[in-house]
Amino acid sequence: MTLTSASPPPTEAAPPRPRPRARRPDRSAYALLLPALMPVVLFSIAPLVYGMFLAFTDARAGRDVDTSLVFLENFGHLLDDVQFWSSFRIGLVWAVTVTLLQYAAGMGLALLLNQNLRLRWLARTLALFPWAMPPVIIGLMWRLVYHPDAGVLNAALTDLGLISQNIDWLNDFGWALPAVVVVGVWTGMPQTTIVLLAGLQNVSRDLGEAARVDGAGPWRRFTGVTLPQLRSVTVAIMSLNFVWNMNEFALVYVLTQGGPGGMTRLPMLYAYEEAFRYGFFGYASAMGVAIVIVVLAVLGFYLRRQLKEAEA
Amino acid sequence: MTVGRGGRGRRRGTALAAAGLAAAVLVTGCAQGDPGEEPMRYLSLAWQTQSIEANRRLVQEWNREHPDAPVEYVQGSWDNVNDQLVTAFEGGDPPDIIHNESPTLTSFEYRNYLADLGDDLPADVRADIGDAAWDTVTIDGRVVGVPLLQEPQVLIANADILRESGVRIPTVEEPWTWDEFEAAARELTVPGERHAVAWPLSSPTNRVLNLALNFGGEFFRVAEDGTVTVEVGPREREVLERIHRQLYTDRTADPQAVGMSGSDPLPAFFAGQYAMVQGGVYTRQQVVEQAPDGFDWVMLPPLVGDVPDQGATSQTLSVAAGSPHEADAAAFVAFMAEPDNQVDLALGDWLTPTSQEALASPELTTNENEWDVAVHAAGNLRSAPYLQVPGFDEFKNRVSEPLLQEYFGDRISLDELARRMEEEGDAVMARYADEG
Repeated sequence: MTLTSASPPPTEAAPPRPRPRARRPDRSAYALLLPALMPVVLFSIAPLVYGMFLAFTDARAGRDVDTSLVFLENFGHLLDDVQFWSSFRIGLVWAVTVTLLQYAAGMGLALLLNQNLRLRWLARTLALFPWAMPPVIIGLMWRLVYHPDAGVLNAALTDLGLISQNIDWLNDFGWALPAVVVVGVWTGMPQTTIVLLAGLQNVSRDLGEAARVDGAGPWRRFTGVTLPQLRSVTVAIMSLNFVWNMNEFALVYVLTQGGPGGMTRLPMLYAYEEAFRYGFFGYASAMGVAIVIVVLAVLGFYLRRQLKEAEA
Repeated sequence: MTVGRGGRGRRRGTALAAAGLAAAVLVTGCAQGDPGEEPMRYLSLAWQTQSIEANRRLVQEWNREHPDAPVEYVQGSWDNVNDQLVTAFEGGDPPDIIHNESPTLTSFEYRNYLADLGDDLPADVRADIGDAAWDTVTIDGRVVGVPLLQEPQVLIANADILRESGVRIPTVEEPWTWDEFEAAARELTVPGERHAVAWPLSSPTNRVLNLALNFGGEFFRVAEDGTVTVEVGPREREVLERIHRQLYTDRTADPQAVGMSGSDPLPAFFAGQYAMVQGGVYTRQQVVEQAPDGFDWVMLPPLVGDVPDQGATSQTLSVAAGSPHEADAAAFVAFMAEPDNQVDLALGDWLTPTSQEALASPELTTNENEWDVAVHAAGNLRSAPYLQVPGFDEFKNRVSEPLLQEYFGDRISLDELARRMEEEGDAVMARYADEG
């Protein structure tokens, strides 16, 4: 009796595959992890924690300036800060439009590159091009494109007879945001395209064939067969793009510096100004924290809905 | 910079990451060796070729004469100097000698970044530079810089068009009043072909605030207890309204030029599409260098309102507080401010010097390139109240630049401009009052 009770019951031993190895990590594993963790802690987690701490202080730039804890005061001010919320609105408009357009354009390009075209290898390489460029270079390049007098855009539109007077795209109150959005879409297209292309290659061609036999046209096959199979890829790339776009900084800093009149002042740009131009480090940190909270909330809502739909 | 988000595939927010990294490095202390042993760093914002040459030459001259206090020339840029300085000061490693302009010095003084040079400057330098110029750099009795170059606001005109039209050509003795200017502009405009004037107002604040003194517009009121409020009353509105009238009522000024900065309208000016371009006296340089052969231009003396006064914006040299070389740095600044050297700098930048002796030098009293008109215009400069206001930098970037751009873009009315400038301006001022 004692012996049998000590040995595992045969039913539990039934699955032939071995039990996953010791869940408790071995102590020596920590030592091995340490070199990898050090830089993460030092350069990623420590500044993050320090930044969050600053959000609860009145830290500001200056020699011999005392910093004291103010707890939630910064966040209180933030709620009343009309300029911050208007910048936030611009950030949301920017992030949502850019993400949707990136998805639409990336999908088009991915579908095209998924076809058996001649020189497909070349087209695929070229599609990656914007990815290889640093945002500052992209910004400088597009500034030349948009240049009111010497830019190719105005020249092309004038030649086509579409405009009679040069438009100063980046300084015009109406055009600045759309002009910047176009650059954002252009910049973000490669990774969206590549991810969608990878997804498309996993879509079974048999299903499409079957649908074709049933008389479904190309559009019906796309919406009924391809798109549902891309759902998880779509959710992933849309969420990542949204976060990236919400935190965009370098591109807009180079293109417009937030102008004209704050029309393209994204929240990150606003926080940067607050800290490095006006020297209110504590308040700027509070903005950073607020942005993270809102991004997480939007993302959480989106992911939940997508997952629910997937279950339904 | 507040929250580092690791593990992203792309180089997003490079600047933020870099700032975070810099902070981490600075916290651990990266200063090696004794900073007192290293040469002084002079952050110069000179950008015109001649001006860079003049600066470098003066640095070399100084180094020859003072081998024990060498200066290293460091090139900076107006575009990002203030962001750069904030990070440099916070990191504890600012350049010793700082080139900047008077409107930003108040924010630096508010953060105790700058040394008081009041007692460090030789008496002859102090005496040679005019009081109005000293006022632009004296904050609460502390001299936080030495004013070197100033920028009177003028009009540069196409001489042929002016002569043909038969309008009275203004002289130094008898300049145009604003009324005359507006009347002449109507004469000079040929609808569909030529606008009388281009106002490049992409960053309008300094220009408008300086010109507003023509009618006594001061924009800031400082109360007895030090509370600062923004006021846009009838005197402040005068210049605003006149420029707007030219743009949208008389149509003598080209609305297309409003979004331009400094020298952008020059190609159209050379092509005869504008009879005049408004700008600082430095605009002459580009006119001289870029104008086609045979282009005949003239610089008109500053306009006169109720008074001929204009607000002065000075280019300045300051010394970083806590610099290990404070006395030597002040001596270098004084060296740069010597009359002969100011003449070199003025010629390089095409701006007017603050030294009385330099203003009287033969190089600057000649009528070649209209230097005599520029120097005469410098006599009307006085320190505008905004230079004494902590938080002016934020007021300018956040409140007045966008609002003025909207007003000159004809998107808001003068009443709305005034109301919002006062409300939003007061809110900014309050931030600095709290913590000052």
